[in-house]
Amino acid sequence: MLPTLILGSALAGLLAFLAGIFENEDSDAGSASNPNSQVQLAPQIGHLHRYYNKAIAGEPPQNALWATLAATVAYLLIGQLSILGLNSIQSVLIAAIIGSLLAALIQGLYGFLAHVSRVASMKNFKQILYWDSLVSALPLSMTFVFFSALCLTLLAFVIHSLMGSPFSVPLIAMFLGFTLGAIGSSTGDVHYGAERLYQHYKFGSGIAISKQGDIDVKGEYGYRNSVDTPYFTMRFGGPVTGLTFGLLIFIDAVFRIYGGPWTSVILVFASIIIIFIFLVYLEKYTRDKYGPFEEGS
Amino acid sequence: MEPLISMLIIIGGGVLVGVCVHFIPASAVGAMSASTGIATGPSMLSFGAGLAGILSASFALEEGLAVMLASGAGGSALMIILTILGGNLVNAFGTGVPPVSGQTANKLSVLGTSTKDVITGWEQKPYITPGTDGHGMPVQTTVSGIIGGVIGGLGGAMVFYGVYSLFSTFSVEAASLSGMVAAGIFLINCVLPAYTLVGKTEGMFDRKILRTPKTFLSCLIVSTFLALIIYSVSQYSGAV
Repeated sequence: MLPTLILGSALAGLLAFLAGIFENEDSDAGSASNPNSQVQLAPQIGHLHRYYNKAIAGEPPQNALWATLAATVAYLLIGQLSILGLNSIQSVLIAAIIGSLLAALIQGLYGFLAHVSRVASMKNFKQILYWDSLVSALPLSMTFVFFSALCLTLLAFVIHSLMGSPFSVPLIAMFLGFTLGAIGSSTGDVHYGAERLYQHYKFGSGIAISKQGDIDVKGEYGYRNSVDTPYFTMRFGGPVTGLTFGLLIFIDAVFRIYGGPWTSVILVFASIIIIFIFLVYLEKYTRDKYGPFEEGS
Repeated sequence: MEPLISMLIIIGGGVLVGVCVHFIPASAVGAMSASTGIATGPSMLSFGAGLAGILSASFALEEGLAVMLASGAGGSALMIILTILGGNLVNAFGTGVPPVSGQTANKLSVLGTSTKDVITGWEQKPYITPGTDGHGMPVQTTVSGIIGGVIGGLGGAMVFYGVYSLFSTFSVEAASLSGMVAAGIFLINCVLPAYTLVGKTEGMFDRKILRTPKTFLSCLIVSTFLALIIYSVSQYSGAV
C-alpha cells in the first residue's frame, strides 16, 4: 500500500506542476484574466496592438470548464475502450488524450469568437482585426489548453484511484480546475500584467493607475504578438504557477501517507508555519534589496 | 444524525464561507502590481481555496466531523499561503517590488494613523510605488489570509458534512453528490460578499471588514433557504 501512495503523491505533484505551467501559459498567450483589461484599454489610448485577446470567462471557471469537459469525456470513454481489450492504464491515457483534444478544440472555437468580437467592439478606436495575430496564437493557446486539461484529467484519475478520494473523476477535475485557475490567475499573471506588458518602463515598480493601458506593443523585432508572450513568461511566471499548484497537491497528498488523519492535519499546519516564516524573510530580503522609492523616480 | 442538526451545520458553514471572503486579501488590479492583495477577484480566489479545502476534507469523510473540519481548514489555508508565496515570488523577482500594504501606508486601515505593519513593525509608506495602492502581500495581510483560509475551509467542510449526512441515507454516490452541492453552496456564499467588497479587500485590516455584519446577514438568509431546499430534496428522494 505504501509504495502505491508514495507513487501516487509523486505523480500527482508532477502532474500538478506541469498543469500549472501550461495553464499559466494558456492564459498569457490569450491575454486572459486580469491583464486582459490592459490589452483592452490600449486601443482606447491610441496603441493599436497585435495581441491575441481572448477572455472567455474568468480564469477559474474557464479552466474548470476545460478540465471537467476533458475528464467527463475520458470517464465516459474508458468503459468503451476496455471493451477493445486495452488494459486500464492504456485506456485511461487514450481516453484522457481524446477528452483533452475535445476541450482544446472547443477552447479554440470560443477563443476565436472571443477575439473577433472583442476586436469588433474596439472599432471606434480604430483597432484592426489582424488575422496573423489570431491564427498564429490560436493553435499555441489550444496546445497549452490540451496539455493542461490532459494533466488535470490524469491528476483527477490519480487522486481518485491511487489516493482513494470518494469523489468521482469529473468532480475532482472540476475542483482542481477551479483551484488551478485561481492560482494561475493570481501568481503567473502578475509576471505578464506587471512586467511583460510594461517592459518599456523601468524594472522595479508597480504599474501606477495613470500608466495603465500604455502597454508595450513593439517587440524585439517588429510588432509584438502573443506568440512572444509565453516565450517570456515561461521563464518565470509559468514555473512559479506550477510550483504553487504542484506544492499544494504534493504537500496535501504526501502527508496522508504517514500516520493517521490527525497527523496529516498537524503536518499541513506545520508546513503552513514554515512557509509563513519563509515569507517573512522574503519580504525582508526584497525590502533590503530594492529599498525605499526615491523621490522623483 | 438528526436532519435539523445537519441543516444547522449547513447554515453555519454557509455563513462562515461568506465571512472568510472578508479575510482573504484579493484585488484584481494586483495583477499589475498596482494594489495590495492576491491578484484575482476575492470571490473566485475564496472559491478556489474552498474547493481545495473540500477536496482535502473528502479524504477524511469516514473519520468523523472533527478531522474533516481540520482537514478542510488545513487544505484551504495551505492553498492561500501557497498562492501568497507564489504571488510574492513573482512580485519580488518578476516585477521587482517589495510587498507593501497600500491602505496602511495611506492611513486608511483599521489601525488608524499607524503606517507600520502591525506584526513586523516595518514601515510601509516609503516602499509603495507612487500612484499605486500597494503591491504584494505583506506579513499582516498574509496572517489575515491564513485566518480567512482556515475559516473558509471550516465552512466548506461543514457544508459538505451537513449535505453528506442528509444525502447518505438514500444515495450510494452520496459523497460525489454532496461534494457537488457543497461546491454550489460555497460559490453562492462566496459571491454574496462581492457586493460589500466591490472588487478588492486587504483582509482584516481593511475598513471593509466593518461591513462583515451585512455579509453575515445575507449569507444567513441564503444559507437557510438552501438548507431547506436540500432537506426537502433529501426527504423527497428518501421517500421514493
